[in-house]
Amino acid sequence: MKYAHPESLVDTDWVSAHTNDPKVRIVESDEDPLLYRIGHIPGAAQVDWFSTLQHPLRRDFVTKEQFEQLCSQLGIANDTTVVFYGDKSNWFACYALWLFEYYGHKNVKIMNGGRAKWEAEGRPLVKDVPAYPVTQYRAQAADKSIRAFRTDVFTQVEAKKPLVDVRSPKEYTGELLHMPNYPQEGATRGGHIPGAVSIPWSQAVNEADSTFKSAEELSALYQGKGITPEGEIIAYCRIGERSSLTWFVLKYLLGYPTVKNYDGSWTEWGNLVDAPIEK
Amino acid sequence: MPLPSKLQEIVDDFAGMAREEKVETLIAYSESLPPLPEWLKGEREKMEPVPECMTPVFLFAEKNPDGGLTFHFDIPPQSPTVRGLAAILASGLDGCKPEEILTVPPDFFTPMKLEEAITHQRINGFMGVLAHMKHAATQSIGS
Repeated sequence: MKYAHPESLVDTDWVSAHTNDPKVRIVESDEDPLLYRIGHIPGAAQVDWFSTLQHPLRRDFVTKEQFEQLCSQLGIANDTTVVFYGDKSNWFACYALWLFEYYGHKNVKIMNGGRAKWEAEGRPLVKDVPAYPVTQYRAQAADKSIRAFRTDVFTQVEAKKPLVDVRSPKEYTGELLHMPNYPQEGATRGGHIPGAVSIPWSQAVNEADSTFKSAEELSALYQGKGITPEGEIIAYCRIGERSSLTWFVLKYLLGYPTVKNYDGSWTEWGNLVDAPIEK
Repeated sequence: MPLPSKLQEIVDDFAGMAREEKVETLIAYSESLPPLPEWLKGEREKMEPVPECMTPVFLFAEKNPDGGLTFHFDIPPQSPTVRGLAAILASGLDGCKPEEILTVPPDFFTPMKLEEAITHQRINGFMGVLAHMKHAATQSIGS
């Protein structure tokens, strides 16, 4: 069994061979953005989930115009292949990929294993920040078919359609309001969205080298919990970063046609007045 | 109550920096954090965990002959932001008496305008590190 879209994943060898390819832009997206500054893949540009991908005022992503400006400044053209990698098993690499797709970018890929694998293989890291010729990037209107808002989640709950909670088991049961070892980020209630099944994101990744599990393993994992290709699926976590990884797995590695990421996630749902919660 | 002088200097330095300079200085602090001394390696049960951080952080307060404290940190290199913040506190409070450390207000860093360079969550982690340093300082008073 192969991944449904094997072209969406590249390995470290492939990236190593394409660091000077003008048709390819390697982009680092980390939880800790200082990592890029202490060393990154030669030629790689950086996006930061907070300071460059989020709207400066509202809890939302950058606008279409701001996204166009970001891509133009990073020298990304509409036909550039963008390969994302990052720390923490590619959480924020998947988050950035998802946002690029939200604004209609077609050629997006993840470097399997992320930053940790590149480093473990002793590959070069550099500090020089590259400057690429500025482009005239044109984004598409936001593709809301891959993003769930709270109203979509209410509808999903009522229709008893599948929801995947990718947080750690204790966040799902409501024992913890945040990830173990992470700061509490302001959810006033614990638990999960009614009907959601618990499939922690980490079960999709090999612990040893942060690469994704095989197609057989992934298929067995999700199908075994009733998350099947016919379902219209919504994945969520705490702020939408871990569920971006699950979204990528379901959509690209398993080829499920209808998957949305609920980026409001628990920090929205766990604070919403009148929202149903299960424990 | 004034801040310990070394910490005050760091706060003043940051207050005058542009965003880019803050980021660079934080990286320099992160790289300056000394490795864990041999006698603390593999001794995490002796150290104080800081669960508020987004990364595993452990600290230990060593009492010097004059009663001042030196803080040792165990933070992975994959977390440069937290390493940088911990290094600011470790160097700003190095050699201070426990009683001085306890006087540092939890919002002492407000004038540094760190939010220009790092996210709010990490600032929570910074406050967590200080709170646990104070806890270690309190325990050292009785020891």
